[in-house]
Amino acid sequence: MTAYLANLATLAAIFGILAATLNVAVGYAGIFSVAHAVFFGLGAYAGAQLALLVVPDALLAMVVAALVAGGLSLCLALPALRVRGEYFVAASLGLQMMATTLFTEAKGLTGGMGGLVGIPRPMILGVEVPTLALALTALVLILLATWLMARGSFGRTLRAIRDAESAAEALGKNINAAKALAVAFACAGAGVAGALFALHMSFVNVESFTLDQSVLIMAMVIVGGTGTLWGPLLGAVLLLSLPAGLSFLPFIPPTEIGAVQQILYGAAMTLLMIFRPAGLLGDMRTGRKA
Amino acid sequence: MSGAAHPLVCRDLSISFGGVKAVQGVSLALPAGKVLALVGPNGAGKTTLFNLVTGNLRADAGEATLDGESLLGLKPWQVARRGVARSFQDLRLFTHMTVRENAMSATERGSWFWQAGDAKARAARVEEALAATGLSDLAESRAVDLAYAERKFLSMARILAAEARIWLLDEPASGLDLSSRQRFAGLLRAANARGITICLIEHNLDVVAELADEIAFLDRGVVLAVGEPQAILRDKALAAIYFGERAA
Repeated sequence: MTAYLANLATLAAIFGILAATLNVAVGYAGIFSVAHAVFFGLGAYAGAQLALLVVPDALLAMVVAALVAGGLSLCLALPALRVRGEYFVAASLGLQMMATTLFTEAKGLTGGMGGLVGIPRPMILGVEVPTLALALTALVLILLATWLMARGSFGRTLRAIRDAESAAEALGKNINAAKALAVAFACAGAGVAGALFALHMSFVNVESFTLDQSVLIMAMVIVGGTGTLWGPLLGAVLLLSLPAGLSFLPFIPPTEIGAVQQILYGAAMTLLMIFRPAGLLGDMRTGRKA
Repeated sequence: MSGAAHPLVCRDLSISFGGVKAVQGVSLALPAGKVLALVGPNGAGKTTLFNLVTGNLRADAGEATLDGESLLGLKPWQVARRGVARSFQDLRLFTHMTVRENAMSATERGSWFWQAGDAKARAARVEEALAATGLSDLAESRAVDLAYAERKFLSMARILAAEARIWLLDEPASGLDLSSRQRFAGLLRAANARGITICLIEHNLDVVAELADEIAFLDRGVVLAVGEPQAILRDKALAAIYFGERAA
């Protein structure tokens, strides 16, 4: 039971990182991406390959994963950020579809559908460390960085862009640079989460980095509250706990848990959008009619 | 018409949207330290002219220059960093930010995690802008919660805090009551006295008469007349166009 709870807590911390970093793009900058799982995957494959081929050093894996995911996000985001709103959502959807195919087909790097197996346990300076401790530390550092960013000038710039992009630009803000930086930060964080995931699971394959996963991460942000520090973390814990909680209910057959979970997700999202459109921890005034 | 006497100059600016010639060969010069009002009926091309100058639109022909340097091809943020601030008809406030954050954001042009320059000086500029616009007591209110006139003054506070030397104001006094309008006029006069060059789009001719040193009258994308306020406002032919009484 302890191992089960530790595993759940580790996954909650990893998905907390994913939700918190996506929130920087969605909640602060107003950039709605449904491709966060792509950068989660890039980080996972980068971290896994480093551990398999070079050294299973957790810190190095996280740094490399952040650089790969953050760097590639810049290459992909710079052209995509020229489009706004729903067009960016469509562009990110295209990226997600393309990446899923590439993850499946680039067998030399990703292992294809079979994935990468036998990823060594994480170590720091040759000493094995529990992934829960690593994930919680990374989560705290990312939340701290987000908090500092949100209360500073960069956070104001992102919120200005979210509220009125043309006015922000008219005040001398290079909005494309700010948005690219926000996306790079978010995707680098997703890369860190990916490396932790790979080291924790000892196995990764494309099924963890599909559109469903991106939508789940987006749901975590929306349920918890976009543009809040703690909301995405709460969303991650709630949405991860739901399937775990359902499995303890004796009247739901194990084979039906997936379907019940989908129905509950859908109902919860609908009710939330009606009664708390800003999410559980979001500003109640947001989303109300004037 | 360039340099110190006329910092912002438009030469033969033109743009069409499909078959509509929104601005046709407009040449205008903003006299330094003066207030130029753009007057004309709806659809005359006044806001389009602002958009061409600030880089929100690319001209089909002609160019705008600032201190003799072409603004052609510059993005709006690059034009803003050269000292040109603008307001919008629909205000475009940062609605979910506080009044103070709105003004503070206008002082922060850097796009990275830090800002160049003195943070205390920026904060002082913000407080000055809020005091000048009468918004100090509302500094912690969200922009979306303000009354209409307060929102108008917040858009002016952002421009004040931005420390631009040329202001392009798009209908800044529309919808204001008499008292607010007087406050607004005082704000503009004070800025003008500090040497700020102002170009104003305004439908309220009382405001125009009170503030403008010069008026440019536009219709259907063309400048029909430029001159002193009294001469333009007394012109019966222009008045007929303005009030929609001309023959088709």
